[in-house]
Amino acid sequence: MPKTRVGVFVCHCGNNIAGVVRVPEVVEYARGLPNVVHVEDNLYACSEEGLSAIKEQIAEQNLNRVVVASCTPRTHEPLFKAACEEAGLNKYLFEFVNIREHCSWIHMHDPARATEKAKELVKMGVAKACYLEPQEELESEVFPAALVIGGGVAGMTAALNLGRQGIQVHLVEREQELGGLVRNVRTLFPTEQDTEELLEPLVEQLKSHPQITTYLGGEVENVDGFIGDFDVTIATDRQTKELKVGTVIVATGAHELKPTGFYGYSRLPNVVTQLEFEERFKQEGADIPRNVVMINCVGARIPERTYCGRFCCTTAIKNAIWLKEQDPEANVYVLQRDVMAYGVDIEKFYRRSMELGVRFVRYDIENPPQIMGEERAEAVKAYHQLMGREVVLPADLVVLTTPLVPREDNERLSKMLKVPLGSEGFFLEAHVKLRPIEFATDGVYVCGSARYPSNIPESVSQAYAAAAKAAIPIRDGLVRVQAITAFCDEGTCTACGNCVQVCPFGAIELQEGRFGTTARVNVAQCKGCGCCVAACPSGALQQRGFDDRQLFSMICALAEEMTSGFGG
Amino acid sequence: MVLEDRGGDGFEPKILIFACNWCSYAGADLAGVSRLQMPPNSRVIRVMCSARVRPEFVITALSQGLDGVLILGCHPGDCHYSEGNYLTRRRGLFLKNLLEYMGIEPERFQVRWVSASEGAKFADIVEEVTGQLKGLCPNRPPGHSE
Amino acid sequence: MSNRSVLVIGGGIAGIQASIDLANMGFQVCLVESTPSIGGRMAQLDKTFPTNDCSMCILAPKMIECGGHEKVHLLTYSEVVEVQGEAGDFKVTVRRKPRYIDLAKCTGCGECVEKCPRRVPDEFNMGLEKRKAVYLPFPQAVPRKMTIDAEACLYLIKGRCRVCEETCQAGAIEFGQEEELLDLQVGAIVMATGFDPYDPAPLTEYGYGELENVITGLEYERLICASGPTGGNLQRPSDGKVPQLIAFIQCVGSRDVNYKPYCSSVCCMHATKEAILANEHYPELESFIFYTDMRAVGKQFQEYIIRAREEYNVSHIRSRPGKITVDEESGNPIVWYDETMFSEAGDPVRRVTSMEVDLVVLCQALVPHGVHREMVEKLGLELDESGFLAIPDKLIRPVDTTVLGIFACGFCQSPQDIPDSVVQASAAAARVAELLTPQE
Repeated sequence: MPKTRVGVFVCHCGNNIAGVVRVPEVVEYARGLPNVVHVEDNLYACSEEGLSAIKEQIAEQNLNRVVVASCTPRTHEPLFKAACEEAGLNKYLFEFVNIREHCSWIHMHDPARATEKAKELVKMGVAKACYLEPQEELESEVFPAALVIGGGVAGMTAALNLGRQGIQVHLVEREQELGGLVRNVRTLFPTEQDTEELLEPLVEQLKSHPQITTYLGGEVENVDGFIGDFDVTIATDRQTKELKVGTVIVATGAHELKPTGFYGYSRLPNVVTQLEFEERFKQEGADIPRNVVMINCVGARIPERTYCGRFCCTTAIKNAIWLKEQDPEANVYVLQRDVMAYGVDIEKFYRRSMELGVRFVRYDIENPPQIMGEERAEAVKAYHQLMGREVVLPADLVVLTTPLVPREDNERLSKMLKVPLGSEGFFLEAHVKLRPIEFATDGVYVCGSARYPSNIPESVSQAYAAAAKAAIPIRDGLVRVQAITAFCDEGTCTACGNCVQVCPFGAIELQEGRFGTTARVNVAQCKGCGCCVAACPSGALQQRGFDDRQLFSMICALAEEMTSGFGG
Repeated sequence: MVLEDRGGDGFEPKILIFACNWCSYAGADLAGVSRLQMPPNSRVIRVMCSARVRPEFVITALSQGLDGVLILGCHPGDCHYSEGNYLTRRRGLFLKNLLEYMGIEPERFQVRWVSASEGAKFADIVEEVTGQLKGLCPNRPPGHSE
Repeated sequence: MSNRSVLVIGGGIAGIQASIDLANMGFQVCLVESTPSIGGRMAQLDKTFPTNDCSMCILAPKMIECGGHEKVHLLTYSEVVEVQGEAGDFKVTVRRKPRYIDLAKCTGCGECVEKCPRRVPDEFNMGLEKRKAVYLPFPQAVPRKMTIDAEACLYLIKGRCRVCEETCQAGAIEFGQEEELLDLQVGAIVMATGFDPYDPAPLTEYGYGELENVITGLEYERLICASGPTGGNLQRPSDGKVPQLIAFIQCVGSRDVNYKPYCSSVCCMHATKEAILANEHYPELESFIFYTDMRAVGKQFQEYIIRAREEYNVSHIRSRPGKITVDEESGNPIVWYDETMFSEAGDPVRRVTSMEVDLVVLCQALVPHGVHREMVEKLGLELDESGFLAIPDKLIRPVDTTVLGIFACGFCQSPQDIPDSVVQASAAAARVAELLTPQE
């Protein structure tokens, strides 16, 4: 076992540290610490000069541990680590001590005690450094293929983008046809094209792309593994296929709420949803009703389902405009509780609908509209909030605007892929703000209405984004994990299972091995938080770079300074 | 230890702070960047997540004579590892009860939440806890030699 | 070589995300940002809805990842001056404005800033505070290097001072520095130039600029932010008093045929967030949001609005106020409006009424960042009638501009919040990858 040889480099940071902390004293003090064979100070440790000095000393003094006392590791740690590597020293044998943000800058009026504190911090850093061990970053190979679950607009977009990046794609669609929800829509916003015009070219390109294999009428039965190495079982009615992929995209969409129990839906023949409206009326020869009343926010923004369907207002406006274009004399009313015409295009569309004579009536959730009529809806009675009175609107047709709701299958998928669902039942992304299409589980991504109701441009953007994320590990070929992961000493493990329960990422499993059943950490999934280590009663689980010996050594180094505790 | 045995003038408590990399350590950094001055009694140990801190660290620190131990983490709901700070919170409560049962003053162990933008809060906490611990006697557990 | 390189214009969250994704996909990225640091508008926010995460806390790691990525080359304090060529082979000229600092030597220690005698209004803090002529725009700036503002520096204007040069132990001050023109060859370009707040001064009925206690949303954001000019104490401009009653006026300049006809998308949530923050700081404080439609369409947004009403003393009044006057003595603004909704039948008389408050926050329209108009010409791009970068095929190619090989993400192409911008940024990266992969 080579003797531990620690080099300590104390930075002045111009005057930032040296103006308060007496650096020469800290240098002297460090010389007396166990295992320290070299100490020097530098004006700016992070400068070219400073880094060169460190590299030189590693070579000259055969240093096998380096401690730099300067600013916060959160900025320059990678720089110093790279310097160590360049000098041939494993970068995990480096320890950073913060004597600027945590010392000189906050004790500017007490140089004596700031200096004492700096000495103790260096002592703690050296103590930990002595217990550091060289680490290799895990590189795990990524199988160069992706699985896309769902063949709607989102799934097809993601698959096509990946295919065109030269990546092999397996696209699984439950129905016999591609297109998903958009197949049930007749015309599009804002272009007013027929949906066929959008879908057909997509489907054509997809089917003819050499990198993409489509499984129609297929189900994903099982997914095992982790990023870079997923084993997938796909079942169609003809066969079961096993394949390997590196990443997975969930694009399973959602479906329109059928609001049974609301406004006579499913009881009265002329009360329909927006999609049903499109199916029935947006075709050759259909009779356009003269009096149409639409009711928005049906089954949405209510106590039982608090979310907003996001683009249902857009759909209502689209269909209202269509009606007025077919028959300018038609009476079209839209009963609403906030018109969600956000952005540029939808707001413009909203304004246009009003110019065409569509009338918007604001109603209140406390005073919902009532359908009048026995065998059919004949009129809608509503309390018009802006007029302050009740109005009765004759209706040949009542169209209910409902939100998309999560698919029942989401639960099964979420367990299979080890990804969570949110409280509404849609897939829950890693971070609502900055990681909206990733999961906490690496290698699985989500896009489109499977995540939350999204209109076509939004679903397509998300699909492209998911394709970018899914492509990254594949293009790289390797997944690299920072070596601050946990590991289990199987000889000591008692298989209590605490760690398995506590890991936020599902990275630990109890497995059979040489010592019986023990915990094993999947390093590719481990994020290096250390939750499991603190939960381990036997000490079998440790975290590289933050193990118990290292942290205890810091505590003891600090406590050793406790003599009488006076004038600390 | 007699309760009235205060350290008297000149007693400076020594406080160990565990700070998580993503929030509280960054908050402490911001306090530094903002040049917020505070008493030089505390020493920070960086961990990736506050949940790394096992109760034995706290007990060891206190039994070796450190006057106080703080665990600082991200605000509940903001943990970089999603759930770590919930674990910290639960362990913290349990440990607090245990330490009080052992006769250790409650001020000597605290769990607090500091986000990366709360430099001022970090400074306030250091100030507050230093003051609290100064008002107690030095932590010299039975058997500790002087 | 060129088609492994990509230019990203704009270093806000969208530009940062696009750069990170592209770099991770193996491309060399040049990120050009006109201010001294990346971070953009998100760096100015205190918290972000609907999670109320501290904005800088979630942004800073991304900034560090971006700035530190071996494949990302940051060109801050720089602008694009010329673009020629076509998809797969663009030739771009970038002007690096002189910072008068040697970036290789500057360690960001900040000693020069302490000694500099010259103060000017701080843009990062919306002019509510002053900064020095040599400065770091905010503490978490990436790159962490100083900049000397040539329009403020005493030496550069009058030939006096040079204190910074004396102070700097690294010898990083370089008054002789000149602008540099760099030529780049890239395969694709991603626009991510973001937004500017629309100046509400033309809406004279609201008195912005005249009435001291009428401020904008971004100004409020800096006041409530712990790292802002008042350390997070919500002190109103006239007398430093903490308001007990705040009025938020929505759609100031938005949804208005006289100014901007479109909806800026984020202001309803933004106002609700600000009202929640105010109440978190001061539990007795009450807020009223004057709105037309509460557009809370994103994930967890409705629940956020409900919590604001139930737990944070936030009330909503459906009205677009007609004017704001002031009580001369107290400085309290008075909001004049008519309630448009009747909660009970039998009272259908619209009354004009007024509410005296302590502070008014105008949720102003947000417009695509000004400078990009000039750039748009250079790039041959088209704008739509509202000034956003035109996206010809919104349905299937939502991040493709009118020029092949140039993509646009974030607010520069349509009003959107942070999650949408981040999605579009990654989408742009995917489109670039597709474009630059040779198709058989």
